[in-house]
Amino acid sequence: MARTLRRLTAAAGALPTMVLWIAPLLLSLAVVAPAALDRQAWQMSLGHPQLWPGLWLALATGGIATLLALAAAIVILAGIPAQRLLRGLAAAGLALPHLAFAIGFGFLIMPSGLVARVMVGGDAPPAWNTVQDPWGISLTAALALKEIPFLLTAAMAALARGDAAGRLARECRAAASLGHGAGSAWMRIVLPQLLHELRWPLAIVFVYGATVVDMALVLGPTQPPTLSVIIWHALNDADAATNRMGLAMTLLLTLALAAALGCTAMLLALTRGFRRDFLAAGPSLLDVPRHSALLLAAVTMLMMCGAVLILGLLSVAPRWPYPALMPPEPGFAAWAALAAAPAPLWLSLGLSLSVAAAALAAMILWFETQPPRRDVWLIGFALLSLALPQLAVAAGQYRLFLALGATGTLPGLCLAHLAPAIAYVAIVLQGPYRAFDGRYMKVAHSLQTSHPAALLLVKLPLLKAPLLTATAIAFAVSIGQFVPAQLIAAGRYSTLPMEAVTLSAGGNRPLAATFALALAIPPLIAFLAAALLGRPRWR
Amino acid sequence: MNVTFTRRGFAQFLAAAPLIGAARAGQGWDETLADARGQTVYFNAWAGSPQINAYIAWAGEELRKRHGIALVHVKLADTAEAVRRVRDEVAAGKPGSADLIWINGENFRIMKAEKLLFGPFTEDLPNFALVDTGGKPTTLVDFAEPTEGMESPWGMAQLTFFADGAKLKTPPLSMAELLGLAQTMPGRISYPAPPDFHGTTFLKQALVETMADPSVLGTSAAKEDFLVASNPMFDFLDALHPHLWREGRQFPQSQAQVTQMVADGELLIGLTFNPNEPANLVATGALPASTIAWQNRAGSIGNTHFVAIPVNSTSKQAAQVTADFLLSPEAQARKADLAVWGDPAVLDLAKLNASDKALFKSADAPGAVSFPAPAIPEPHGSWVPLIEAAWLERYGA
Repeated sequence: MARTLRRLTAAAGALPTMVLWIAPLLLSLAVVAPAALDRQAWQMSLGHPQLWPGLWLALATGGIATLLALAAAIVILAGIPAQRLLRGLAAAGLALPHLAFAIGFGFLIMPSGLVARVMVGGDAPPAWNTVQDPWGISLTAALALKEIPFLLTAAMAALARGDAAGRLARECRAAASLGHGAGSAWMRIVLPQLLHELRWPLAIVFVYGATVVDMALVLGPTQPPTLSVIIWHALNDADAATNRMGLAMTLLLTLALAAALGCTAMLLALTRGFRRDFLAAGPSLLDVPRHSALLLAAVTMLMMCGAVLILGLLSVAPRWPYPALMPPEPGFAAWAALAAAPAPLWLSLGLSLSVAAAALAAMILWFETQPPRRDVWLIGFALLSLALPQLAVAAGQYRLFLALGATGTLPGLCLAHLAPAIAYVAIVLQGPYRAFDGRYMKVAHSLQTSHPAALLLVKLPLLKAPLLTATAIAFAVSIGQFVPAQLIAAGRYSTLPMEAVTLSAGGNRPLAATFALALAIPPLIAFLAAALLGRPRWR
Repeated sequence: MNVTFTRRGFAQFLAAAPLIGAARAGQGWDETLADARGQTVYFNAWAGSPQINAYIAWAGEELRKRHGIALVHVKLADTAEAVRRVRDEVAAGKPGSADLIWINGENFRIMKAEKLLFGPFTEDLPNFALVDTGGKPTTLVDFAEPTEGMESPWGMAQLTFFADGAKLKTPPLSMAELLGLAQTMPGRISYPAPPDFHGTTFLKQALVETMADPSVLGTSAAKEDFLVASNPMFDFLDALHPHLWREGRQFPQSQAQVTQMVADGELLIGLTFNPNEPANLVATGALPASTIAWQNRAGSIGNTHFVAIPVNSTSKQAAQVTADFLLSPEAQARKADLAVWGDPAVLDLAKLNASDKALFKSADAPGAVSFPAPAIPEPHGSWVPLIEAAWLERYGA
């Protein structure tokens, strides 16, 4: 009897997660899968003159940006022990939307941009090949800079899990007593474990970089563009055959990404022996790279702040001709346009708050009712869903929702926002939630407190910090959704990113900058609030 | 079962049976006006310009006051989005999310061919009689595709170039003169990469100006004919590209980007389909007052943009009333006003009475076209994919 009850509770606890997230996502993938058999679409794809160079550019920009971001994150983590400084950098960087950063960064380095105005001047901009350079260098640099905060967040979360910090410190002391310098000890003890923990975040960064559309449109090469941009144009074409070609290309890109990740994993497995030799090599006096770390962190922070500052200036500059260092006639028409139509802002805020709350509730329910061994499946599914190209998932989701009559409805829109948010909450919350010391609950139960009351009064308050961080991340992820949301909204609802993209279609830079800032401010407030409210009371 | 036949219920019934809806297209205008009251029109329209959005908001306010119609502007970044949505909805047998679409060219050709449009309806619109179908033949033929009453004209467009007159004293009035200018000022001229709409139009203009007999452009093109006819154009582009921005190896992505680069001073010459856009951009402060605009001496590619009603619209009556209102002299005059939008009217001013005619004030604002030229009709739609594919093959990678 008790066993049946327990099973029923477990089933009920998993239900929201299954119904709201896992089932729709699997069905969406099932809907889009038949595209793999479309012969005409494959012929069109393979005949496209930009297919192979575009694919190469996508893999190269995504791959190199991932490696650069990883290298920078490692140096910063090794050289800066102050977690508080890193947390500030990570939060600010996470809150800034990719597109906003791309616009700001672009105006910094382009031939008619701020750097050229300060350093070169003259009547006409220099013939620099910055921004939309054929090799994708500006895109790679921007991607790398933008992903450093994400990798820092993931790394700090991994190092803070359970008693990892204490154990690592003890092991480093042991290495020091063997004659290793601080840097050598860190590289041989912390780094290998860190890299193991970072393998999925790195996969996410790589897939994101190789499939990103909005940043590539602003900064990426044009002839040929990255494959994701070709796909984006094809999927947006009015011609149905071109749409199907785009879908086939999406599958090809997915396969190529899987192959690249598989090859990397194989290469790592093959070089294991070599790496072990390196780790076991005799003591080295290498110190931690304090100066390089500070420099890298400063540059990253400067670029983030610089991008925001430039966006602010662009938003009030109807015209800003070269070589003026300041906009000649500032105007606030763009901000007035945002204020005149506040409905998308309210919809986005309301939607994202409810989505964050729902994602949190579903995950707490899961962790409270499911045995920890099932988390492997949960996290695996979350990582997989984030590592799939968003374009493919969104196309399937749209077909599915259309058949169900859920397009153009508020519930449909909520579900479209919930899927990525819940995946991030699962990943962020799993570690801290499972590391919770069960003795607190035992004490509460022995004092005759009911389980729900103990959960509300003891466990959740103690888990305040990770819960708030997870909420802030869910909120930020939700408010930034564009592709799936725009398909599901079917023109019936307009969120802030949709408004931003449609209004920017005319190339009005003040408007684009204004909306980019409007998109950056709510998540920034969410992260700040999480940091302030999540501070433990007794410390 | 309790069936009440309310007006809304009838509209939904019509939507559920598109064929019956089509058969009702011939209903009297008074009946249409009566049915339209209380309906909501979801107007799917490109929303990249604050001025255009403000104009649509004004039209919505007028329609609410005059006809009790609620007009909702569904803001699009790309009209193809609405085409795909209607296609998917019709295939899934769902009622439409769009009631009126701002459309022309390829999008119209596809929707018409796939029977995704309601109509013919334009002959039923009272104001359609005022349209200058004789003087502006593109109001009846959209990119060489006869409209056959399936879309109602809204505004006129013609390829127009612009530049800062302080930096460019004598504008190039032909493609040959543009090549000469590019040779003297290398790296300061470019055009958006096709299949961007304006980039493709630039190529069409080059095709018209370089080919021996442009009259064949009005007919369907076979690949072999195209290769022969386009040879001089590609010779011209081969000569032009080395002198363009980044030696013609990279191109801006869109007309909007070109305009921004002109405003920043990186490029010299911009292009637009709205002859009054430069003047409008001067008025909003995006371009300097010294801006000049021109059309190529021998004429430039011109067309008309329209509104069409999807076959699965649930507010077909209100959509027709909206299309008719957009054709009214008052709405067309306001649209043509440089301070509002500056989109040229489709009406024949000679057909208007004196008070309506007085609404159209001709203003000579800074940035207005100083070298006007006749409009050249768009080539037949079959030329477009051939031009785009050949360009991509040569310069795409």
